[in-house]
Amino acid sequence: MRERTNWPVTIFIALGSVAILIPLYISISIALKNPQELAESALSLPLNFHWENFTKAIEVTNFFNAFKNSSIITIFTLVFTLLTNSLVAYGIARNMHRKLFRNLYYYFVSALFIPFPIIMLPIVKQTSALGLNNTAGLILLYVVYGMAMNIFIYVGYIRSIPIELEEAAIVDGCSTWGVFWKVIFPLLTPINATVGILTCLWAWNDFLLPLVILSDSADATLPLVQYVFQTEFGADYNLAFASYLMAMAPMVIVYLFAQKWIIGGVVKGAIK
Amino acid sequence: MKSDQLILNNHQSSPADLAKSKKKKMNGRMMAYYLMVIPAALLFFAFHTFPAIQGIYYSFTNWNGINLDYDFVGFKNYINLFKDTAVRDSYLFTFKFAIFAGVLVNIISLAVAIGLNAKIKGRNFFRAVYFLPNILSVLIVGFIFNFVFTSIIPNLGEKYQIEFLTENILGNANLAWIGILIVFIWQSCAFNIILYLSGLQTVPHELYEASSLDGANRWQQFWKITFPVIAPFFTINMVLAMKNALMVFDQIVAMTGGGPGTVTTSISYLIYTGGLAGGEFAFQSANGVIYFIVIMAISVFQLKVLQKREMDM
Amino acid sequence: MKKTVSLLAASVLSISLLAGCGSGDNAGGADNGKVKIEFFHYKREAMDTFDKLIEKFEKENPNIDIEQASPPDAGTVIKTRVSKGDVPDIISIGGDMGYNELSKAGVFTDLSKDKVLEKVQPAYIQMLKDITGQEKIYGVPFAANAVGVIYNKAIFNELGLEVPKTWDEFVALSETIQKAGKVPFYHTYKDAWTLLPSFNALAANTQGADFYEQLNKGKVLAEKRYKEAVEKMVVLSKYGHKNQQGVAYNDGNTAFANGESAMYLQGIWAIPEIIKANPDIELGVFPFPATNNPEEIKVISGVDLLYALSAKSEHPKEAKKFIEFMLQDENAKQYIEEQNAFSALMGIAQDNPTVADLKVMMENGAVTDFPDHYIPTGVYPDKTLQTLAQDKDVDSALEKIQKDWEKVQSRK
Repeated sequence: MRERTNWPVTIFIALGSVAILIPLYISISIALKNPQELAESALSLPLNFHWENFTKAIEVTNFFNAFKNSSIITIFTLVFTLLTNSLVAYGIARNMHRKLFRNLYYYFVSALFIPFPIIMLPIVKQTSALGLNNTAGLILLYVVYGMAMNIFIYVGYIRSIPIELEEAAIVDGCSTWGVFWKVIFPLLTPINATVGILTCLWAWNDFLLPLVILSDSADATLPLVQYVFQTEFGADYNLAFASYLMAMAPMVIVYLFAQKWIIGGVVKGAIK
Repeated sequence: MKSDQLILNNHQSSPADLAKSKKKKMNGRMMAYYLMVIPAALLFFAFHTFPAIQGIYYSFTNWNGINLDYDFVGFKNYINLFKDTAVRDSYLFTFKFAIFAGVLVNIISLAVAIGLNAKIKGRNFFRAVYFLPNILSVLIVGFIFNFVFTSIIPNLGEKYQIEFLTENILGNANLAWIGILIVFIWQSCAFNIILYLSGLQTVPHELYEASSLDGANRWQQFWKITFPVIAPFFTINMVLAMKNALMVFDQIVAMTGGGPGTVTTSISYLIYTGGLAGGEFAFQSANGVIYFIVIMAISVFQLKVLQKREMDM
Repeated sequence: MKKTVSLLAASVLSISLLAGCGSGDNAGGADNGKVKIEFFHYKREAMDTFDKLIEKFEKENPNIDIEQASPPDAGTVIKTRVSKGDVPDIISIGGDMGYNELSKAGVFTDLSKDKVLEKVQPAYIQMLKDITGQEKIYGVPFAANAVGVIYNKAIFNELGLEVPKTWDEFVALSETIQKAGKVPFYHTYKDAWTLLPSFNALAANTQGADFYEQLNKGKVLAEKRYKEAVEKMVVLSKYGHKNQQGVAYNDGNTAFANGESAMYLQGIWAIPEIIKANPDIELGVFPFPATNNPEEIKVISGVDLLYALSAKSEHPKEAKKFIEFMLQDENAKQYIEEQNAFSALMGIAQDNPTVADLKVMMENGAVTDFPDHYIPTGVYPDKTLQTLAQDKDVDSALEKIQKDWEKVQSRK
């Protein structure tokens, strides 16, 4: 393993990463300029930082309200997904030899192949008829729709946990629920991380579901707000980009601190 | 724990169960499993399967989405679907897009992943950079690239007198799809690179050393050693990239609105605009059904073919 | 054991969360004794004006709470909400196909015999009748818009140009401007809808007087009657600029405001945006010289905003009170001044000098409605024109509109 550093490949990789970073650099650069500076050059380094773009964007888009909405949706979706989807998967994984449970497994997983557009039009009517065209309804839909993928991930993992552990707990007098919460759930931590990360990314960044489900503009999530205020920004790109950056910032900040962990979690989810 | 079982026993209503105590305990356990699974299955049915069935139901009507009444029209919508040029064009665009996206995303991802797996400086930093696009909102990335294509690139073209850059490719009927493809690739590679990288890391290093002693060149090394190991990852990546490309929606909302004309109208976008705003609720429901069948067929086909190829190797 | 309890607690919490939100909706109507009225409109640019008027109204009527909602892509949103069965109390849209469909779906209250219509100019009431093909009126026309050619007076003076009266003069003028090294029109073809104002002006003046009559008989004549308009669209597209396919509406407003072109083919609704981008610009609007017969040219003006009342509103009285308030002279005047629109009501004049030429024609009754208000949804003339602007293929554009139209009709 004591090879020399492969410089040509390092340069190739570095150039490629520039292609990733340039659009983000442009966004930051525009968000910090004023219209005159932008007209001169979008690419040059911002010299005077116009932080007022951010304060104004916060005001125009009611940023903190959208931030609150996105946070509530993401956090509740995360908590309910982890608690419920793992439980369902456990029930299925321990009964795969029974026809009903095996069929349910295939039922959930086959939903992965159903494109959202086919259910989009009816679900819009249905959520509204049930009074669920709001934040609570959106959380419910994320938790329910997430099951297709998550049960697939969880079941594979749970089946690799030796059943002896549970049998010991049962001998100690644990109920099935007790076994799950005391024995299994703690063992699921690594895969919970995976499901949690995927769920957060989805709920935070999703656009189509909030677009069609939410009725009240006060419930709008961050991506939806960017869409809603497209017309408001007009040609004021400095303001628009300040707003884009703020919408992306929370995830990027989390990513900066937990980057290894997030990448590892996502990979685990896909390879399962 | 006693109280636990008490709760569970309360759920048992059948008197026959109460007769035998041993069976009772067993049934209590099964009951718990049912309680874990059945409510979820019912919710899933109510919010996923039931709407899908409704979609199929409406596809046999002429409902426009707002009128109070509608009639059954049999297979009329399906027949019209095959005659409709807008629908045909959207399928052609979506497939062209998905094929290019699937192939390019995989080639680029694999190249970058091999690079990242080599002995390079700052690997962890670069790995983090390449994965970054995966955590960003597709819609917002679309808005950013929209500005890059609409303003930044034409301005650069003017400044440095590079003629072909002076035009916004999103406004050009022949090139607009490439603009969307670029954004898609920029964002989708992130995930696939990381997946390939984790696959490459499972290749035992000794194999390379042994083969280089045998005098194999790099190219042979790749096909003989690397590729067989990462073939399963190739399958996953191809299926994932194409599935996402077939669903392309956010980028189109952010960048072209399906234009110029209808050249970048994807199937999802057509169902959304036609079904909700265009008064074609029933017609687009039929489109959704066909779309579902197509996606299903492609996924199954891909998995079959690609898995067979893995076996052959 | 503890975990079981916490699970129970979590599920109870989730149930109460769902239930809580459900009941919250119902309680909304009678919040602290106030009646809540939802006012839905598609004029995002007028939100500030409405805010001011709503504030005034709420001061006069402390027991009514007006909630303004104006999402982007409001045409889609309102239809989605109707199909959900969640209809706002007051719906403000334009007098177009959307109005037609919603009227026929029984969404609105019939206002035909209502006194509120007394203040409205008869021409606009007639337009609503023409659009639905019925005698019943489901909305109160409030504001009217108009399409003309917006021009930069400074550039016209600099080149010694005069306002054209006929199509030939218009083309010759464009030629002169182009020869002088300036851009005649700033096109914004990236946004498909921005092709419609010119098309409307051209089609309305060339499609033939009996076009709608034929249409009501079920005959689609787009291929024949739109030919001249489509050909003229191609001519206009030649007097544009580099990268005209790639520029969007917002950027076009800014570019025209900064003097990058002599003329701008838009409705008068663009003027406030242009002035915002450059408050010093001297601009005027002349009627679109669609043909060579200046006496017959009509200004395109349609119902830009109407107030319709939901047939299912729980508080129709309060909702109507708000509509009546908006129709009061003072308030209607404030709206048209701030939005640079024309009023659909009698006796309320638009005194902005930039639109003086149009005003004269409108007062003389030389007005006709937007042809695209009669084109059914699902035909998308804007997209076809967007393609036309690029490939200049007149025949295929006409064929496409005709076929799409027939297709939509055959689906009914």
